Amino acid sequence: MSIDYFVSILIPMLEGARATVLLFLIAIIVSIPLGFLLTLIVRSSIKPLAYLANAYIYLMRGTPLLLQLLFIVFGLPLIPVVGEYLVLDRFTAACLGFILNYAAYFAEIFRGGLLAIDKGQFEAAKVLGLNRWQTMRKIVFPQMFRIALPAVANESVTLVKDTALLYAVAVPELLHFAQTAVNRDFTITPFLLAGVIYLIITLFLTLFFKWLERRLRFD
Amino acid sequence: MPILKVENIKKSFGPLEVLKQISFEVNKNDVIAVIGPSGSGKSTMLRSLVHLEELDGGSISVNGNYIVKDGIYSKPQQLKEITSEMGMVFQHFNLFPHLTVVENLELAPKLLKKGSAEQTRELSMELLSKVGLSDKADVLPSKLSGGQKQRVAIARALMRKPEVLLFDEPTSALDPELTGEVLRVMKDLAQEDMTMVVVTHEMEFAKEVANKAIFMDKGEIVESGSPVDLLNNPQMERTKAFLYRTLSK
Repeated sequence: MSIDYFVSILIPMLEGARATVLLFLIAIIVSIPLGFLLTLIVRSSIKPLAYLANAYIYLMRGTPLLLQLLFIVFGLPLIPVVGEYLVLDRFTAACLGFILNYAAYFAEIFRGGLLAIDKGQFEAAKVLGLNRWQTMRKIVFPQMFRIALPAVANESVTLVKDTALLYAVAVPELLHFAQTAVNRDFTITPFLLAGVIYLIITLFLTLFFKWLERRLRFD
Repeated sequence: MPILKVENIKKSFGPLEVLKQISFEVNKNDVIAVIGPSGSGKSTMLRSLVHLEELDGGSISVNGNYIVKDGIYSKPQQLKEITSEMGMVFQHFNLFPHLTVVENLELAPKLLKKGSAEQTRELSMELLSKVGLSDKADVLPSKLSGGQKQRVAIARALMRKPEVLLFDEPTSALDPELTGEVLRVMKDLAQEDMTMVVVTHEMEFAKEVANKAIFMDKGEIVESGSPVDLLNNPQMERTKAFLYRTLSK
């Protein structure tokens, strides 16, 4: 196997990896704040909103991400009357699907972080005269994020691998180019190469989160 | 006039009456030791003074201002102002683990905009030196021993210059060899005429430092008086039984 061949399959795959990384970045940057917002809504005293948020989380966690992606990319345009306005660029539609799905998971992770905070923290804050919002902002959220960090890291690694679902909605990404090369050249090398590229991405991600955990450690 | 006046306070958790018509007064410079078996309602009583527990009836006033009057609470803003006269030290310290020692002290004054940053820093350093922890200012609580944590918690409670300082079993979570350093700080405060209400199992501390002791059992005050009298020469059967059990341990 020549170096030339190797480079010839590597270049389109790196091109595909760009879509993978881009989707990952967009999804994580939007879904983490959105998940946090969902957590707040679930805990809010406005009950109808809280029910709605819970129903949303149940829906997103209770159905396959693949179904959700197919629904958004291929399903929405089929809805009578409004469908024609719901035809999105496939990559955009896929981003939307990932964001909506992952926000629900992050909401659950943050909720777990909130539950882990000792009630003594709230009591101390109250006795010191902090109001609810000051308590949340300065005492609760910083601890919640720190507690949730390992779970967030784990979910992020899952997200990297889930980007391969783009394959199913025909957005060219890393796996798509690997599969194409395998079919065309009848060799297993592109699959191995794809695996290595995923490993490199998740390695960087893992190292980043380990660094963040060390930096924010307080126990 | 007493600083703190507690009249006929009542509270139930479901069918269980944890506070049955409790009344007492705290005068300036009092150090009151509240003793009694676990489940006697003494912690609930103390916590209700700073509105960590909601009462079903009775009145609590600080310098004549009612936190709750005949079971009806003041408006939140008022309530906050009145309870701000009191500081609280918890059994489990409740330090903020993500903040350094000095940040623990300064968080509330800074958020509530009490004084300039320089004044706040001056006060926090003064209080840390008072509890003997000047060198730990920039350390996270996880690096401290239990006794050190509790001393930080005391300094934090003193930051708002409370008129009354409440202690909820401040040494119960500590290893025996660490209780001394905390009791010493409390004794210093008493000598500086700090008004304190201390829920405690430390009978020696009660005798030595408190000027009044209250014995609670099953949600009532059974007996109160001078600590030495109450502890050495209890009048009521329940007090005798409790002290016998405690001392024979």
